[in-house]
Amino acid sequence: MTDEGAGGGNSPPLVVLEGITKRFPGVVANDDVTLELRRGEVHALIGENGAGKSTLMRVLYGIYPSDSGRILVRGELVKIASPRDAIAVGIGMVHQHFVLVDPFTVTENVILGEEGGARLDVDDANRRVADLAEQYGFRVDPARPVEDLSVGEEQRVEILKALYRGVEILILDEPTAVLTPQETRDLFDNLRKLREAGRTIVFISHKLDEVLEIADRITVLRRGRVVGETRPADTTKAKLAEMMVGRPVLFRLEKPDVTIGGPVLRVTDLRGEGKLNGISLEVRSGEILGVAGVEGNGQRELAETLIGLRRPLSGTIEVDGRDIAGRNVGDIRHVGVSYIPEDRHEQGLVLSMTLWENAVLGRQNDPQFEAGPGVLLIRKIKALAARLVKLFDVRARSIDVKASSLSGGNQQKLVLARELEVDPKLLIAAQPTRGLDVGAIEFVWKEILDQKAAGRAVLLISAELDEIYALADRIVTLYEGRITGEFAPDAPPEQIGVGMLGGEKQPVAS
Amino acid sequence: MTTEGLAAPAAIVRSRPAWLDTLLGQALALVASLGIAVLAGAVLIVAYGESPVEVYSSILEQSVGSVDGIGYVLAIATPLIFSALAVAVPFKAGLFNIGVEGQYIVAMVVAAWAEVELGFLPGPFLIIAALLAAMLGGMAWAAVPGVLKVTTGAHEVVTTIMMNGIAVSLVGWALNFPLHFDDAPEGAFVDLRTNNFPEQGLVGDLGRMFGITQGAHLSWLLLLAIAASFVVWFLFRRTRLGYEARAVGASPGSARAGGASIGAVQLKVFLISGALAGLVGMQQILADRGHLPQNYIVALGFTGIAVAFLGQNHPIGIVFAAILWGVLSRGEVALQIGSDVPREFVIILQGILILSVVITYQIARRRLSARQLQREGTVGELADAAAPSDRERAREGEDRESGAFAPADDRER
Repeated sequence: MTDEGAGGGNSPPLVVLEGITKRFPGVVANDDVTLELRRGEVHALIGENGAGKSTLMRVLYGIYPSDSGRILVRGELVKIASPRDAIAVGIGMVHQHFVLVDPFTVTENVILGEEGGARLDVDDANRRVADLAEQYGFRVDPARPVEDLSVGEEQRVEILKALYRGVEILILDEPTAVLTPQETRDLFDNLRKLREAGRTIVFISHKLDEVLEIADRITVLRRGRVVGETRPADTTKAKLAEMMVGRPVLFRLEKPDVTIGGPVLRVTDLRGEGKLNGISLEVRSGEILGVAGVEGNGQRELAETLIGLRRPLSGTIEVDGRDIAGRNVGDIRHVGVSYIPEDRHEQGLVLSMTLWENAVLGRQNDPQFEAGPGVLLIRKIKALAARLVKLFDVRARSIDVKASSLSGGNQQKLVLARELEVDPKLLIAAQPTRGLDVGAIEFVWKEILDQKAAGRAVLLISAELDEIYALADRIVTLYEGRITGEFAPDAPPEQIGVGMLGGEKQPVAS
Repeated sequence: MTTEGLAAPAAIVRSRPAWLDTLLGQALALVASLGIAVLAGAVLIVAYGESPVEVYSSILEQSVGSVDGIGYVLAIATPLIFSALAVAVPFKAGLFNIGVEGQYIVAMVVAAWAEVELGFLPGPFLIIAALLAAMLGGMAWAAVPGVLKVTTGAHEVVTTIMMNGIAVSLVGWALNFPLHFDDAPEGAFVDLRTNNFPEQGLVGDLGRMFGITQGAHLSWLLLLAIAASFVVWFLFRRTRLGYEARAVGASPGSARAGGASIGAVQLKVFLISGALAGLVGMQQILADRGHLPQNYIVALGFTGIAVAFLGQNHPIGIVFAAILWGVLSRGEVALQIGSDVPREFVIILQGILILSVVITYQIARRRLSARQLQREGTVGELADAAAPSDRERAREGEDRESGAFAPADDRER
């Protein structure tokens, strides 16, 4: 393999991972993996959840010891037994979940552990952090407390922390999973600056569009093995997906041909605190209504009001002709509404509970799971859980493990299984594929289309236009808590973009 | 003892089910922390110029060396079981009832009133009436902070502390006025206390059957306490309320989205806690004393917090923790009789025990979660399950149910 690309030309690789094998009981997370990182490149590491990308980088960062293999940095054999060792040889890592002290300022967080001496010169520290931020075009105010920052800004602080420690190789574990599209663009600008300055970035992701945009080289892992290395120019999204999953992946699924029936959900002039400023919409049976919009324009409020987690100030919400506005969640679920929350950890699962306990959440009042008044019929709940796990292919050792032990994709499958098993009349799906890899996305999409095929109404709220296009029969745009446009499923993205940014109502095409 | 306790978790065989792992881990952690406490105590004893072996063996001799000793220990444990359960129940739902103290004090007043006023009832009925009155009294006292919490969001720690203070004054008022001692012989010196309860209104002696001296006052209430711990176990493992309470405690958002009403669950849990707290004082008024004196035993509610912690909020663990606490408390007597070590030594020992429990349980939990990660993380993505920092774990809510007494501030609403 010759290399004359954007990165280091023929210079020797900066980091070499050679024959890394990492076993966990019952599984080989990394199987003889060899990987080279060059100076000044963005190296994408892609693969499905569980493919071993994070494990490999955790070995490099000294979190896990490898069972065999060796690591060379700048041509020298190094032993990395802890993150401290990793930082000492210039390797830093930003985890998916940030590790910041909320009440501390940006500067205090950045210098924490590197204060240098007993006396802390705050002004000087602020200046140094500001200089560092400016050097790479990071927009962040060093004097602000972290608790006031957005997620994107917090991430910049994490990256600054690593840079402050003189890190040359920066590992980012799924950095865009928590970002809005705008924040992702900002991050990519920062990454380009870092690359220009000769830093090396390992970009762990399963979002293929992003990888194709930012990476210089791409390494694909599947089941712990390297299945290929390529460059964006030499590949396509479909090819990458096939390498990751091991079979062709469909990015456009066949929409089932269903006669669209009468209205199931009818929302009239819905207003609520904050972000709902008079929303009216209708979803009919057999129809998927896609709500597109830049995040933070009332999507979350809309979903939570519909399922009863928030009280509307005014307006009506009718499901099958019954007004459910202001009712509690239990009643609304009873009418036949199911809910896939945008944050499955906050509103979907109780992570410290077992799979079977999670399987019945939302149906704990159902008489079929009652052994007596108020007493749960554990046997039946376990049977339900076993059925759900099997039907939706939730990969778990048993239904007695905690939900926290599942991967994100499997957690989402469990939520989906639970919410769909009740045969809802209306499904509210908020960002249903957030954080999932391509294989899992395809699975979720199929399930949602199956709901349509079964004649149910689906309200799909998504920030991913791709997802809206792939599923919706009709598209509305949400901007500052109002519906700003209604579009046919084949309307060009530019038109929908106008609606997403608050443009006036467009006539329905076709 | 210590080394054995610390080393053993690594030796646990891989094929054991997770719950057994957890149980063994906790048992070993307890043994280890006992070891630490005993060692630290030994240093103190030596400083007093006595032999640790002698002092410890006299403590054991006094507490578990005879059937009478065991009777005393179990009688001490009885109210602590109720008290610790009253702390553990709301804790599972993410609430901290620090007002068990006030709740049992009020309950004693109400039960004393029932005993005095309903003296015409035959034995079992009078006892049942008194116990019910106590539970209702505890519930009523717990209802105030419960309702405030649910309706206004007032923090239960603050409100329950305030209610404790009011409860103490309430006893003083009750003993001076409505429940004033008026059966005393003419001209005799009168303590501030209620009238003696009717003979048939006292809880029968359980110890006699086992040849335990009546002086231990081991009563049927012990069996009621053990039954209560099974009821609590059942509540959390088998009932909808218990299920919803655990969900509310571990993830309020998911519980709400699952149709649980957080306010209703919290209020119910608080009422159950109050009812359990109501039974704390029954051992002393219905078995030990036969009346409610002004110098009733205080701080059982606060000791309950320590015992609940020692038992890791597990209803069965609490029973054993209460007994262990009883052994140490009973040991005080031995110190008074046969050594120069002051009786406060036992309090120090109990304090060290709690501290070392904090440490060893934390170590055990880390080891266990590492094992669990290795085992269960293999199926899903390892990265998802590996929690390198406490903050991350807190975010994901993993540790919330596990029993550490973290401040409950940011859990609700």
